Amino acid sequence: MSVVLAILWKDLVTEWRSRDRVVAMAVFAFLVVLVLHFALPARDAAEARRLAPGLLWVAYVFAALLGLDRAFALELENDALAGLALAPADRGFVFLGKAAANLVILGAVQAATAVVFALAFGVDLGAIAGRLAAVVALGSIGLCAVGTLFGAIAVRTRYREVMLPLLLLPLLVPVLLGAVDATAGLLETGTLRWRAVQLLVVTDGVFGIVSFLGFEYVLDE
Amino acid sequence: MAARTPDPAVDRIAARLRAPTAWLLAGLAALWMATVVRAPEDAVQGVIQKILYLHPPLAFAAYLGFALTAVGGALFLWRGDDAWDRLARSAAAVGVLFCTLMILTGPIWARGTWGRWWSWDLRLTITLLLWFAYLAYLLLRSFTEGSERAARFAAVYGIAGLAVIPLNYFAIELSGGRAMHPDNLAGDSLGAGMGLPFLLGVLTTLAAFAHLLVRRVEVEGLRARLAEQAEARRGADEEGRWAT
Repeated sequence: MSVVLAILWKDLVTEWRSRDRVVAMAVFAFLVVLVLHFALPARDAAEARRLAPGLLWVAYVFAALLGLDRAFALELENDALAGLALAPADRGFVFLGKAAANLVILGAVQAATAVVFALAFGVDLGAIAGRLAAVVALGSIGLCAVGTLFGAIAVRTRYREVMLPLLLLPLLVPVLLGAVDATAGLLETGTLRWRAVQLLVVTDGVFGIVSFLGFEYVLDE
Repeated sequence: MAARTPDPAVDRIAARLRAPTAWLLAGLAALWMATVVRAPEDAVQGVIQKILYLHPPLAFAAYLGFALTAVGGALFLWRGDDAWDRLARSAAAVGVLFCTLMILTGPIWARGTWGRWWSWDLRLTITLLLWFAYLAYLLLRSFTEGSERAARFAAVYGIAGLAVIPLNYFAIELSGGRAMHPDNLAGDSLGAGMGLPFLLGVLTTLAAFAHLLVRRVEVEGLRARLAEQAEARRGADEEGRWAT
């Protein structure tokens, strides 16, 4: 457990000192929201509510792809990745630390993006903020679990910026469907759709276990 | 974890299976074609229904390929034996081929029966996603430097890919994916005279899959051996240079 906390702390302190990843992700997500606003303008409030869940998650996934790619790119400097691989700890816990840091950083970006999104599309997200945050967290756990695993893989391939989305997007469908469905339920009726939440919980479980076990084989050197 | 010297068991089995699978394929294909030609034409769908003797069998072979990719990958991670990785790699390549053929034959039938090439149906969507996932698998292999590393990465991805299939099924079903695709064949859903060509279609496609797989495993084995010899020669050259 201390390994998880140590890695989480290390990543957050590194991020806090430079703040470049979180700023880059946030600016990118804001731009995605603005581009979506111009590409798919909502004519009225009902249409905005209909489009919002999908578009919001598109912005989140794009921001996550950018951030997950950086998570391990940082470790390549001074060969820190080799240090992580050699650390006298179960690599599953190294994974948990990295994934938790990704989750925190992505969460900060998501909160800021939601505000920009609400302004751009004229959707009232304030009324459902608490439940929306829970849904976003559930979706992001699955996203960060496989994202961290594939990020560690992609960072050591050629064309790593392309490799991460290629690996991640085909497998991300259950997370996206569950998250968009749950968000749509919140926007339409203000209540949580349990089917969607169940799907997210099951997906988080499967992705978490596969990534925890698979990470053992992804670090080398 | 370092890869051990290739255990030739998988390669030996592949070499031994080459001729029998080729003969089996040739014999079954001839029989199958004869029965398909003689099978009665469907009263509603007409001649286009005969794609049924090819399309579902291609799907079975594709799924088998992807399952073998994950199994080969898992065995490689467990045993560290290159031969299992060669099996996984070959199964992915052959699986993608069959999956591509399946995705190409489906719309021909759909156009004739549904009146359109594609529908965002549960099964169609999952299969398309699966096809993309295994294309990514092949790209991952070619973009990773170092064969041992590529094998490990690909094994992890192959296992994750297989784990996501049931999730996708569950997910798309929950989100109300319309099921336009015909259901699995029940015992009596085939018309009179259609059972035999379908059965032969499945056997022929599986024989084609097996034959291509063993050939591919052999090629991968030869490649690995060549790479080893080149490595040994380079080592000998280096030693020679130091000696003179």
